[in-house]
Amino acid sequence: MATLHLLSQSPWRQPLDSVLRLLGADDGLLLCGDACHALQPGSDAWTQLRGRTRLYALEEDLLARGLAAPEGVTAVDYPAFVALCVQYDKVNGWL
Amino acid sequence: MAKSLLLICRQSPWAGTAAREALDIALAGGAFELPIALLFMDDGVLQLLPDQQPALLEQKDLGANLQALPLFGVDQLYVCRDSLARRGLADAALALPTTPLQGAELPALVARYDLVMTL
Repeated sequence: MATLHLLSQSPWRQPLDSVLRLLGADDGLLLCGDACHALQPGSDAWTQLRGRTRLYALEEDLLARGLAAPEGVTAVDYPAFVALCVQYDKVNGWL
Repeated sequence: MAKSLLLICRQSPWAGTAAREALDIALAGGAFELPIALLFMDDGVLQLLPDQQPALLEQKDLGANLQALPLFGVDQLYVCRDSLARRGLADAALALPTTPLQGAELPALVARYDLVMTL
């Protein structure tokens, strides 16, 4: 069963290692809030994420931070966020 | 059929209330015979260190709650081997019998459960 993992904290406050350790091949990762900074090209966090599939980011949190979704990352609005939560078998929020 | 739940415990027993709350959820679910499993990872593995004396810091002892897990039927207890190793606990005696997991065993564990909650 595929899981959608939700991350909201900066990758330097909440390192990605633990999330990636639990992330299965069919699982999705949705970044919101300060977790969006993990998409900063050149950052160590983006080096860890680059090349993964099923990466999503909340568009308004990206735009608010002056970030853009790099290639391979799908920017989603709130309705699409909800649709993703329904599409996956379960959702796991990382506090 | 009740939905199965995997609780992922990531907080040290000294880092606020998350560790206690996760155990409360597990014990409550166990009392109702819900299929619940726990995965200790990151600082959550520090809950498993034996001989802790939280009373010295005027904190409540989680040890009794941990020991109660098997009594409440919560006996699917897993621990992240890498989290133990990073903290020098690879060969340490732990307060509870747990199954160490690593690599692809971890996402496979998450995939098996209907619900997952990280605390």
